Amino acid sequence: MKKNVLKKVLALVFVLALAVGTLAGCEKKTDGGSTDGGSAANGGTIMWLSNLSSGPQYEAQKAYAEYLCDQMGYDFKVVYGDSQNDPDGNLQAVKNGMTSDVVGLILSQDGGVANIMEEYPDLWVVGHNSDFNSIYSDIPQVATSASVKDNEKWLGTLADGHIDGNDTAQQMFDYIKAQGWKSVGIVSFPGFAYPNLQVASAKLVELCEAAGIQVPGGAVEIMFQPLEESYFQEAGRGDLDAVVGLCAGTSFVYPTLLQAKADGLCAEKTKLVTSGFDSDPSLIADVGENGTIAYLSISPNEDIAYGLTLLDLAIKGELYDDFVSERIDAAEYVIDSADDINAVMEMTMMGTVDPEDAQISYEDLQAITSFADLQALFLGVSVDDIK
Amino acid sequence: MKEKKSFGKWLKEHKMDIAAYGGLVICIIIFSIVPPMFGESIWTAEKLANLMSNVIVLALLSVGAVFVYSLGNMDISVGGQVRVYALLMVLFANMTGSLLPGILISLLIAVVVAIINGAAGQLLRIHSIIPSLVFMMVLGGISSIAYNKIGSRNISITGMDLGFFKSPIAMVVVLVAEVVVISYLFYFTKFGKNARAIGANPIAAEQSGINLLKYKVICYVIFGITVVIASMFKMGYTGAASDSTGTGFEMDVMVALILGGMPLSGGMRSKVSCAIVGSFTYSILAIGLPLIGVPTNTTFFVKALVFIAVVLITCRKKDGVLPR
Repeated sequence: MKKNVLKKVLALVFVLALAVGTLAGCEKKTDGGSTDGGSAANGGTIMWLSNLSSGPQYEAQKAYAEYLCDQMGYDFKVVYGDSQNDPDGNLQAVKNGMTSDVVGLILSQDGGVANIMEEYPDLWVVGHNSDFNSIYSDIPQVATSASVKDNEKWLGTLADGHIDGNDTAQQMFDYIKAQGWKSVGIVSFPGFAYPNLQVASAKLVELCEAAGIQVPGGAVEIMFQPLEESYFQEAGRGDLDAVVGLCAGTSFVYPTLLQAKADGLCAEKTKLVTSGFDSDPSLIADVGENGTIAYLSISPNEDIAYGLTLLDLAIKGELYDDFVSERIDAAEYVIDSADDINAVMEMTMMGTVDPEDAQISYEDLQAITSFADLQALFLGVSVDDIK
Repeated sequence: MKEKKSFGKWLKEHKMDIAAYGGLVICIIIFSIVPPMFGESIWTAEKLANLMSNVIVLALLSVGAVFVYSLGNMDISVGGQVRVYALLMVLFANMTGSLLPGILISLLIAVVVAIINGAAGQLLRIHSIIPSLVFMMVLGGISSIAYNKIGSRNISITGMDLGFFKSPIAMVVVLVAEVVVISYLFYFTKFGKNARAIGANPIAAEQSGINLLKYKVICYVIFGITVVIASMFKMGYTGAASDSTGTGFEMDVMVALILGGMPLSGGMRSKVSCAIVGSFTYSILAIGLPLIGVPTNTTFFVKALVFIAVVLITCRKKDGVLPR
C-alpha cells in the first residue's frame, strides 16, 4: 500500500514537473511570438530549420540571428531538421514547429524542400549553409526538388563552402602542394549523400597523382562513422604526411588520428587537413603550424545574415532590383596557423558567441543597396580581416 | 454504499485505462486551453491535418503491433522494413508508373520477414527480439547499398498524383478501417484470443492445445501487412523515400503502446485501443508543445516526463518494478 502511495506521489511529482517545465519553456509572445528568445517584434517570426542542435557554430548562429531579427523586427525560432536529411522528417519538423506568425523560413537542410514549399506556398524560403543539390543538381535522381528553382518564393542559398567539388579539391591541393607533402590520405563522406564531396575526392586524387603525390589505397569513404584506426594499418598509410578529411574531419578523423599516433600506428608528423569546428580547448590548442590540425576551413557564422537579409527584404516587398534567386559559394575562414585560430577564438562569434563580434553588422547590411553588393559582402569575409 | 464499493472496484480494475486515456484527455484539454493564450489553436483545419499526418503512420504501425506485443514479443525490425518498403514502392512506381507492383512486392517480403520473425524465436528457442534484430541490420544494410547504387540519399516519385496519401479524410478512413479489422481479429477470432493467451502464459496456452508456432507466425504476418500499409502513407505523403525513412519507428511504436497502457508482457490486458490512445497522445504532444512556446529541443524532455508519469501510474507489478 505504501509503495502504491509512493508510486502515485512520484507520478504526481513528474506531472507537476511537466507542468512547471512546460510553463517555464513558454515565453510570453508579443505581437507575433517568440519561443527561443528575442524581444518585442511585430513583423512575425522567422523560423530556422537547423542542421545543428548544439556546438559553438549552432550557438553563434542562433545568437547572431536572434540579434539581427531583433533589429529587423522579427522573432526568431529554431526547429531541428532530420538528422539524416529525410524529406519527410524535415517536413514534419517544420510542420510541428509552425505557428500562425511565421513569415519566413531559413532551411539548412534540403531534404523535402519542395514538400515544405508546397505545404506553405505563401512563405518566403531561403537556404543557408547548404548547396541544395536537391534543387540544383544536374543528376535527375539527386534533384528531387528541382521544381523549387522556378518557385518565386525561393530566394536561393548560400552554400557551405564551395558548390563545385572541383574547387574544393583545388583549394586542398594547393595547400598540400605548398607544404611539399609527398603522401596523403583522403577520407570523405559517401557520394550518395554528398555528391560534391565525391567529386572533390576524385579530383583531389587526380591532382595529387598528376603532381607525384601518393594517395596510398586511394580515397576512402566513411559511412558517417568515425574513421577506423585500422585505416592506418593499410600499406603506406603508417607514414602519411597528412590526411585530408572531406567529411567534418574534426569529428570523424581527428580523434582516430590522435589515437593512432598514441598507438604507434601512424607517424607523429601526420597532419589533418579538413573542415568543421569544435571549441574543445585541447582541439583548439592542436590547430596551426605545430599542431595536428594543420588546415581548417569553416563557413563563417555570419552567413546566416545573408538569408535573413533576403527574407526581410522579400517580406517587406523590397528585394533588390538586381536580385536573382541562385546559389552561391560561401567565403571560408581558412585557419592554418596559431595566429589564425587565436584570432578566430578571440575576435569572432566562433569563439565568443557574441553578436557584437560579428564581422558583418546590422548597419553593414542596411547600407547594402544591391544584390551584387550583398554577395560581395559575404564573399569578402575572411580570417585575415579580423587579425 | 454498494454503489460506492462497485465504483471503487471498477476504478481499481480500470486504473490503467484511466491513466492512459487520462493522459490523452489531459493533453487535449491543456492544448485546447493554453494555445489560444498565445494566439494559436490546435483546432484549426491546418493543425488537425498536421495531427493526422503526424499520427497516421505511427497509429497504423502500433495498431498492427498490438498482435505482436500481446504475445509478449517485440519486433524491432519495423523501421528497417518501412525503409525498404518505401524504397521499393518509389523504385517500382518510377519504373512502372503504378504503385501496385511495389506494394505487392513489399507485401511478399513482409510475409516472409514475418514468418521468419515469428517462427525463429519459437523454433530456435531464442528471445523473439533476436530475429527482428537480425532483420533490422539486414534491411538497414540492403537500403544502404541500394542508396549507394542509386547515387542519392533520397529518391522521389515523379509524375504521379499522390494526393490520396495527403488527404486527412483518407488517413482517417484507412486508420478506422484498420482499427475495425484488427479489432475484429483481435477480439472476435481465435487469432486474437490465442495471441493474448500465449502472452498471458505460453506454457498454459500450449498445454491447452494452442499451436504456439502457428499463432505467433500469424500475429507477425498481420503486423507485417500493417507495416506495408503504414509504409505507403510514410512514402506517399512526400512521394519520397530516403536512407533514413523509418528510423526510430521501433522505439516510437513501443513508446506509443506503453503510453496507451499496453503491458509489455502482453497477455489478456492487451488492447487495440492502447495503440490509438498512445499514438494520439504522442502526436498531440509533438504538435501542441511548440504552439505554447516550448522550444523544439525541450519537447523531447516533456515527452519523456509524460512517458514516465504514465508508466509509473500504470505500473502493475506488485513491487512496482519496471517493466510491467
